[in-house]
Amino acid sequence: MDTSSPRLRMSILGVVVLGCFLALFARLWYLQVMEAPALAVQATANRTRTVATEAPRGRIFDAKGRVIVDNRTSLIVSIDRNELKKVKNRDDLIARLADVLTANGAPIKISTIEKRLSDKKADQLQALPIASDVTDEVIHHLSEYAEDFPAVSYERKTVRVYPYGTIASNILGYTGRITAETLKRLEPGTDPDGVEKSYQPDSIIGLAGVESTYEKELRGTPGIELVQVDFKNRPVGTESYQPPKSGNDIQLHIDIEVQIRAEQALVERLNVLRGTAQRDGTIRGAPAGSVVVLDPRDGGVVALASAPSYDPQEFAVGITQERYNQLQDVNGASALIDRSITGQYAPGSTFKLVTAAAALSNGLIDGNSSIYDDGVYRVGNPVQEFTNAGKEKYGNVNVVRGLTVSSDVYFYWLGDRMDGTTLIQDAATAFGFDKRTGIDLPNESAGYVLTKAEKKALSKKYPDAYPNGDWYTGDNVQLAVGQNVIVVTPLQLARAYAAFANGGTVYQPHVVWKILRPNSTTTDPSDVLRVLEPVVTGTVTLPPDVRGPIASGLEGVTSGSGTGASAFVGFDQQAFRIVGKTGTAQVDGKADTSLFASYGPALSPKWVVAAVMEESGFGSEASGEVARRIYEVIANQALTGAGTATNGSMD
Amino acid sequence: MLPQSISSRASKLSRRDPTAPLRHIDPVLIGCTVALSILGVIAVYSATRGPGPDYSKSYLYKQTIFMVIGAGAMVFCSVVDYRKLHDWAWVFYGITTALLVLVVSPLGSEVNGAKSWFSLGPFQMQPAEFSKLSLIGVLAFLLSEFRGDVDIRRLVALLATAALPMALIMLQPDLGETLILLAITMTIMLVGGLPTKYIAVLTIVGLVGVVGALNSPLLADYQRDRLTAFVNPSDTSNAALYNIEQSQQAIANGGITGQGLFDGPQTKLGFVPEQQTDFIFTAVAEQFGIIGASTMLFLYGLLCYRIWRIAQVAKDSFGTYLCAGVLAMFAFSAFENVGMAMGIMPVTGIPLLLISAGGSATITALAGLGLVLNVYMRRFQ
Repeated sequence: MDTSSPRLRMSILGVVVLGCFLALFARLWYLQVMEAPALAVQATANRTRTVATEAPRGRIFDAKGRVIVDNRTSLIVSIDRNELKKVKNRDDLIARLADVLTANGAPIKISTIEKRLSDKKADQLQALPIASDVTDEVIHHLSEYAEDFPAVSYERKTVRVYPYGTIASNILGYTGRITAETLKRLEPGTDPDGVEKSYQPDSIIGLAGVESTYEKELRGTPGIELVQVDFKNRPVGTESYQPPKSGNDIQLHIDIEVQIRAEQALVERLNVLRGTAQRDGTIRGAPAGSVVVLDPRDGGVVALASAPSYDPQEFAVGITQERYNQLQDVNGASALIDRSITGQYAPGSTFKLVTAAAALSNGLIDGNSSIYDDGVYRVGNPVQEFTNAGKEKYGNVNVVRGLTVSSDVYFYWLGDRMDGTTLIQDAATAFGFDKRTGIDLPNESAGYVLTKAEKKALSKKYPDAYPNGDWYTGDNVQLAVGQNVIVVTPLQLARAYAAFANGGTVYQPHVVWKILRPNSTTTDPSDVLRVLEPVVTGTVTLPPDVRGPIASGLEGVTSGSGTGASAFVGFDQQAFRIVGKTGTAQVDGKADTSLFASYGPALSPKWVVAAVMEESGFGSEASGEVARRIYEVIANQALTGAGTATNGSMD
Repeated sequence: MLPQSISSRASKLSRRDPTAPLRHIDPVLIGCTVALSILGVIAVYSATRGPGPDYSKSYLYKQTIFMVIGAGAMVFCSVVDYRKLHDWAWVFYGITTALLVLVVSPLGSEVNGAKSWFSLGPFQMQPAEFSKLSLIGVLAFLLSEFRGDVDIRRLVALLATAALPMALIMLQPDLGETLILLAITMTIMLVGGLPTKYIAVLTIVGLVGVVGALNSPLLADYQRDRLTAFVNPSDTSNAALYNIEQSQQAIANGGITGQGLFDGPQTKLGFVPEQQTDFIFTAVAEQFGIIGASTMLFLYGLLCYRIWRIAQVAKDSFGTYLCAGVLAMFAFSAFENVGMAMGIMPVTGIPLLLISAGGSATITALAGLGLVLNVYMRRFQ
């Protein structure tokens, strides 16, 4: 074959050219038909930028439909620090900005702006808010002379409003800007239409309390605008726009009236007691306390108060280290802890409910079993003496009287008889102690009720803190009166009394009652998205021969010779009978912890009130007084002269 | 004498003369040319009018003017008997080579790091484009003179003739045009009867040369990056990748039917760089989809087929070689340009003839087609 024949050479050329065109067509088919969907997505991503607008968060209502967290718009002026670096006359710009703000009704100092700008905690990539709630005039001026204010921006933002100020702040929590780390791990919820409530780097999220635990409900659906940009990233138009939608509203079990009274009564009582001497002469520090009000019928949380408290708004706008340190030491107590759910205290005599139930239900005693109380109980060899408070002698005491007058000796005896068993610990567990209640608020504590085995294990693990790992009869005797080997949270205490009040059902306490549609009314049933049904976490068996004697004993506490009677002087118990138990837990070298746990009205209990106050003295004179003030609101009884006495009956 | 001369001239144009050039115009070639030219003007306009609403029309007007000038060049190149051009081949070669020398001198202007243009008021002239045609002419002349008898001395002469403009263009530097000249040279030598052993040796030397060049300091880094981007699509440090990614996304965005004229978002927003020249294919593919893009490729293929066919039916070998050269110019420009836009060929800036914006390229392309038409019209004379 002649390989140089022109005909063959032309054919080779033809085949090569044809091959080239076929290759082009094949590739074209691949790109435009086979790969088109995937590449088109990339192309769209390329030429569009997503601009998200934060939607208003859902509102929060109290049990009676009063708005306790609302929204309003605020005009905010911000400075982009990266842009500011490029500005030639930086100091001049800041001085002019301060002038404009000051001249238009939002006075600010240059030094204040500089201080904000030097905040190292703020995200460098985002514009830094310099002034909020500025006037419309400021915005008019800034927009009119925009070219004179490079790096300065302004926007209209929805911010939280609290019509009741700092009331219930420990429950409601606060909101703040999301951190880069949270942005990575936080999973967005969906709105009632199934649209994802995505997060952006400048999103506002709940950082504490209900705002945090119900973030997925409260968060609104951000408005998403797909802005078309050209190759230099300049916006040229809008491809699509989905307007922002408010988040779901929520309704709490909290009754704001009761909450207000609980907070006020607590603070007032602490103030009255602080610096005074309790009966043994120890000066009351009265630094802190807390109150829990529950609905025993479903575990709904009606009020949760903790003192000292703080204004969460301070955190929302950014808090200084100095102020933070101040809040950690208010009269020697940290204001940053919600003691109602995280505080852990020896329950003292309030625990006698559990000891009595353990003894009665295990047949150790019946309602009439009595001993002679000469003020001292002796156990062991060598003999160890345990005395009543003030070495008071109560004579013949059965379980009813033991509770009413709070005879420690009677309960030492029960503790002694149950030594070597875990009957008390088991009863405590049944009433919901020794584990978290599961309340829908963050940072709850679990408390503990030690058993022989647990004490040994603890001692092994922490020999310094627990040098003695052996379990003595004395330990069981102390446990019977809620001392030494047991700590509980005020919420656990309230829940145990709620379980007793309702006949034995232990509920998981719940702050939130209903999830409502965005922009709902609390009166329209169709606005309810879902009701959070009560959750039962356990039951206590309370047959009449167990419940009867205990109820009788507790009913006696608030009147006559009862240990809590002094706190309820003048309270109309005919109209609203209160059943409760005082507690005074000894703390080495300090004034006693005052406790009071109660429910009412006696025959159909609708409220449980538990109060715990640190270094405040006897149960009745501190916590009992606070509880009484709360019952005044609950039972709709007028304020009387009570609440000023500094001495009540000892337990 | 006078009447005879008149009658002779008259007979040339007479209807009865079956060899008259005007009786042998190729309507398919002209049809394809016109269709592609119109598509080109539309594509250039769509790629340059901007996102609006103040649409820029300067490219539209310029490209239309180039098309008109190119049409004149095409008519000129088809009317004057190509065999007369035979004698002028060296003159054209000399002129374009001189221009290539001048363009790398201070007279030329530098755009994007390459001294490839003369600035003539609002227009630029790119002599490398014209050198393609002059090289075709001169190589066709030489090989037709050699009549298939190429020894090593003649081969050296051929290679030297081709190497001079190629070397000058590399000085600019313009790799794409150099490669097109290489493709033209190889094609004409293949068709021109170069002995097979030489072709084999040249192919091997060529391959070794390409590999060597890629690994030598002869190429600037950006050139190496561009050439290898389509091989290493995951090398994120490679800036050329951005162009390829954007262009492939724009092409994919066209889908089956395209986004519609002036409605291609990637094109409209200017995401693909150089989309009126090197990446003009993305504008066509995004707006008209696979239907439009493959129609364009089909027209291109049909045009190439006609040139190939005309090369075969040419009256003499000079005509055959001319057509082979023009075929190489069109086919390999298209393959490189469209292949680059689709990520299967290296990134080298060469125009898609008749479609891309650019005066020199458009006029050269139309003049080349005029020559092919010339050969066809005179195949019986």
